[in-house]
Amino acid sequence: MDACLSVEREQERLSKKYNSLKEHADSSLTELINQISNIQEELSKASKDDEVSPLQLHLLNQSSRKVKDTVSKIATEHKELHGGISKIGKAVDRNFVIDNTTCSQPGVFDGENASLLNEVLCEHLFRQGRLDIAEQLIEEGNLQLDDSRKEPFTELNRILEACRERNLDPALQWAQSRHMELKVRGSSLEFRLHKLKFLDLLKEGQHKEALEYSKHFARFASDHTKDVQQLMACLLYSRTGIGNSPYASLLDPVHWLDICDVFARDACALLGLSLESPLQVCITAGCVALPSLLQIRQVMQQRQVTGVWTSKEELPVEVDLGPQYRYHSLFACPILRQQCTDSNPPVRLSCGHVISRDALNKLTNGNKVKCPYCPLEMTPSDARQINFY
Amino acid sequence: MADVKALEYSTMKVPYEILNKKFRAAQKVIDREVSLVVSATNDLTNSLGTVPVKVGEITGFLDGVVQKLQSLKRKSEECLSQEESCLRHCRARLDHIKEHADERKSAVILWKKKRLDRMLVDHCLRSGYYETAIKLAKDSEIEEYVDIDLFLVSRKVEESLLRREIGPCLAWCYENKSKLRKFKSNLEFNVRMQEFVELVRRGDKMEAVRYARKHFPPANVDGTMTKEIQRAMALLAFKPGTSCSPYRELFDLERWGQLVMQFRRENFQLHQLNDQSALAVTLQAGLSALKTPHCYQAGHKSPECPVCSHPLNILGRPLPYAHCAQSRLVCPMSGHIMNENNPPMVLPNGYVYGENALRGMANENDGRVTCPKTKEIFRVDQADKVYVM
Ligand SMILES: [Zn+2]
Ligand SMILES: [Zn+2]
Repeated sequence: MDACLSVEREQERLSKKYNSLKEHADSSLTELINQISNIQEELSKASKDDEVSPLQLHLLNQSSRKVKDTVSKIATEHKELHGGISKIGKAVDRNFVIDNTTCSQPGVFDGENASLLNEVLCEHLFRQGRLDIAEQLIEEGNLQLDDSRKEPFTELNRILEACRERNLDPALQWAQSRHMELKVRGSSLEFRLHKLKFLDLLKEGQHKEALEYSKHFARFASDHTKDVQQLMACLLYSRTGIGNSPYASLLDPVHWLDICDVFARDACALLGLSLESPLQVCITAGCVALPSLLQIRQVMQQRQVTGVWTSKEELPVEVDLGPQYRYHSLFACPILRQQCTDSNPPVRLSCGHVISRDALNKLTNGNKVKCPYCPLEMTPSDARQINFY
Repeated sequence: MADVKALEYSTMKVPYEILNKKFRAAQKVIDREVSLVVSATNDLTNSLGTVPVKVGEITGFLDGVVQKLQSLKRKSEECLSQEESCLRHCRARLDHIKEHADERKSAVILWKKKRLDRMLVDHCLRSGYYETAIKLAKDSEIEEYVDIDLFLVSRKVEESLLRREIGPCLAWCYENKSKLRKFKSNLEFNVRMQEFVELVRRGDKMEAVRYARKHFPPANVDGTMTKEIQRAMALLAFKPGTSCSPYRELFDLERWGQLVMQFRRENFQLHQLNDQSALAVTLQAGLSALKTPHCYQAGHKSPECPVCSHPLNILGRPLPYAHCAQSRLVCPMSGHIMNENNPPMVLPNGYVYGENALRGMANENDGRVTCPKTKEIFRVDQADKVYVM
């Protein structure tokens, strides 16, 4: 946040300077114009051939000097704004990464891969129900995309469209007809739809209808006890308005955005598509990984280590994305600190500790090996290869 | 915050550059208006020099001063408010970026969604999918945070170059003269050279010589272009169908495409845009951070893993794998994490599963478990604990 704040500070300073220059220019120029207009008016009372009086001459000379001084000052003051402008630029340079491409390979998404990337984008847009944007991309990107790739999304889109217009009925219909399937998946979609519908009725002041509608909560009461209690408590405030009640946050419009997301996710699951948009997952992971990759890249450049990055084998650092992004089991040998492979598989010592075959060979002394994690000693042949995948 | 620093440089820098450019233009306008006021004032004071001064002799000069002052006032107001609106644009972007740290979780989710949309818009603009970009930006309400205008300007130049017109490109070079000189651009020279080649191609040799005389020497003040100019002049001796190198290459129409690429590169450089898009950089980092050897082994793919999914699987192929120094184990039976709450157990055939899944299976099958990989049946008490450090 500091990065933003230091840029903001410079922006504020400059904005004040602009304000004061604007005021100053306006008032001083208005004053000059008035001053000269006054002289003009006075002179207009005389006839053309009258002589200009010494006092008037003095005034005219004085005003002329003032005009020249003032306008040059305006030009100078404007020029001085440049200092403030470049301070903003420098604050941006100082606080943000100027070149974030140092750890990526150029051209990875060029050529044939450019259309593959566009396919990924299209599917992402289909999934979000942005059909018309996807179609536009297909057209401009000259993509050959099979109709079967978008069909599953057509119904989805129709329902999402209705949700966005705050019409929950198609979504409710869809969810109710798949009540069991959704329940098995532990989805709260159906309940959340009812909840939103109920709140909408309350908000519109249709208290009777809301009360009547609350019967739908009955079958969810055991799974969503607290939610249901809260919702029913809203009825206490239906006269004075929920907006002024402790439950005001229930009316946050973000719930309408949420419901579209929840619906899209659950529908994808039932259609056998991955829960999250693969593009979205990759970008989220990338936003976590990129800063540490850039940092290590910088350290390597400072130490003048080159070439390591081009290794297509592994990234130079471990990026912890959190458990929700673990899709595959990985076993890393705790001795060698590297991933096991088919040629260097994990082995279980008789005590239960697991290391890699290469590590076992390194630790073997004669016909004896001692477990590095406990006092047990054994012969290497006691170790048994195991398989985590 | 680290991701914001790594990704938002150009978001902040582009509107800054526009403000900077606007400032320079404004300074020119103000300087000109000021000098007009000064010279009108000088005319007035000169006429006051020889007494006696008649009223009729000076009213004209007075009118002149007032007129010029009014013009300065109008123009400086106009300039200053344009500059202020550029500054407000910088401000709006910063305010948007600051929202990444909003305390409400839902606001952050929405912000991240918009960030992905911004990346997609940027990618489309860079790829020349202008309509898609415009639609997407409008749909996501992020028009203020993406550089559509900037790319629409370059679209005009690129399209004209592809029509083999050099006017708009030269106008662009002129408009950005001082910056282009700073990074020693030879775009203008190359464009002139192309025009020269076209004159030769048309057989208009006299005109070609005239054109060369007018435009080549000024571009060669420091003598660095001498060789290229000589080569170009030699072209006059050849016909378009020549097979003689390097003249055949000079006649190649593909050079127009190269000009487009050069223009695009320099336009990026001018606006401090990196040559790889934020989408490309982030996607690469994300794919790498998620990529495991399993993603490329049949039978090991996971339906939720984005790198396993087509077409990201192909796109991830040339990228490095995630670095894994720490084991992260997922039970192949349940997909749940294996840790102290779900310790890994090895069956006599060497395959490892989580205790919870094995117990669950055993409870329903008289204490017997079937290995999903080999279909062998074991008693659950044959499973041994595995200790992973
Ligand atoms: Zn041990
Ligand atoms: Zn995978």
